[in-house]
Amino acid sequence: MEHHVSLLAHWLTVVLGLQQHPWPGFAEGLPLSWLERYDHLFCATLAALATLAVCFAVKRKLARIPSPMQAGLESVLKGLQGLLDDSIAHHSEKYLPLVGTLTLFVFFCNLFGMVPGLNSPTSNWNVTLGCALLVFLYYNFEGLKKVGPLKYLAHFAGPVWWLAWLIFPLEVIGLFARILSHSVRLFANMSGEHVVSGLMFTALPLILPVPGMVLGLFSVLIQTFVFVLLTVIYISLAVAEEH
Amino acid sequence: MKKFLKTAALFTASIAAFAQEPAAAAAAKGFDGHYLAHIALGLAALGGGIGMGKAIASASEGIARNPQASGNIRTTMILGLAFIESLVLYVLVLAFAKA
Repeated sequence: MEHHVSLLAHWLTVVLGLQQHPWPGFAEGLPLSWLERYDHLFCATLAALATLAVCFAVKRKLARIPSPMQAGLESVLKGLQGLLDDSIAHHSEKYLPLVGTLTLFVFFCNLFGMVPGLNSPTSNWNVTLGCALLVFLYYNFEGLKKVGPLKYLAHFAGPVWWLAWLIFPLEVIGLFARILSHSVRLFANMSGEHVVSGLMFTALPLILPVPGMVLGLFSVLIQTFVFVLLTVIYISLAVAEEH
Repeated sequence: MKKFLKTAALFTASIAAFAQEPAAAAAAKGFDGHYLAHIALGLAALGGGIGMGKAIASASEGIARNPQASGNIRTTMILGLAFIESLVLYVLVLAFAKA
């Protein structure tokens, strides 16, 4: 798949006069500046700044009678807290900071793909793999912290001890396969939408891509929700206590 | 208004002139593996379509039996569709992987 540089990165390269040179083994020797080469990180930084901007804009003007932005953010957080309460029995609110930040970050990353002039960082597998690895390390760390390493490994053994030799490898493989499925689901949805819209554009420009992009807008919301829901489920599996 | 529509139609038509044809596939003699990815994606879409049809059918029946729960059922259906769709998308990713 060829590397599509975001318009903003290219414009900044031209405006700031950055030097373009071919990068070995990347994009078949196309001359790119460092900003264009790493434009997925550039757009990811913009998404992180957007998250921070939204949160700080609401935090400055916290009021009893909420402004629309405050009400919106509160309802998002209430929904996430509800998801956490459904899955995790005790002290679920201590997982809310990571889950909330991840929601907003992934949502803005996905949304930037729909904005003309920017690429979505999540249409690059490296970014989604990073998010999935972060979630993996987080829930394993939380699980280990909560019950200790021996009991945490024991919970992979399954319900009966005499099947543990069979179930344990399957569970461990499933644990690592989660990283792959978690990251590839988001990556494939975001980049596949772009590819399909591009194909529709070559077929019938200006008219045919529109339904594809409407579907893409739906998938931005839905894939954020699915990513976060899976995060919550993995955390709940890791910190589950024996009855 | 009429002049605007005429200009808009002219611009739209001129864009079609820039549409490039997709790169012609290399002339293949006998079986070459170039279209295996297409076939794989078709099979994946077949399975995914059947699964999604069952999911939507049972969701519709649930809403018909219990219209009050339609919010919950709709959310569950969308979630299930996203998971089934991700299986099809794994195959799409493989279609673009080289070697």
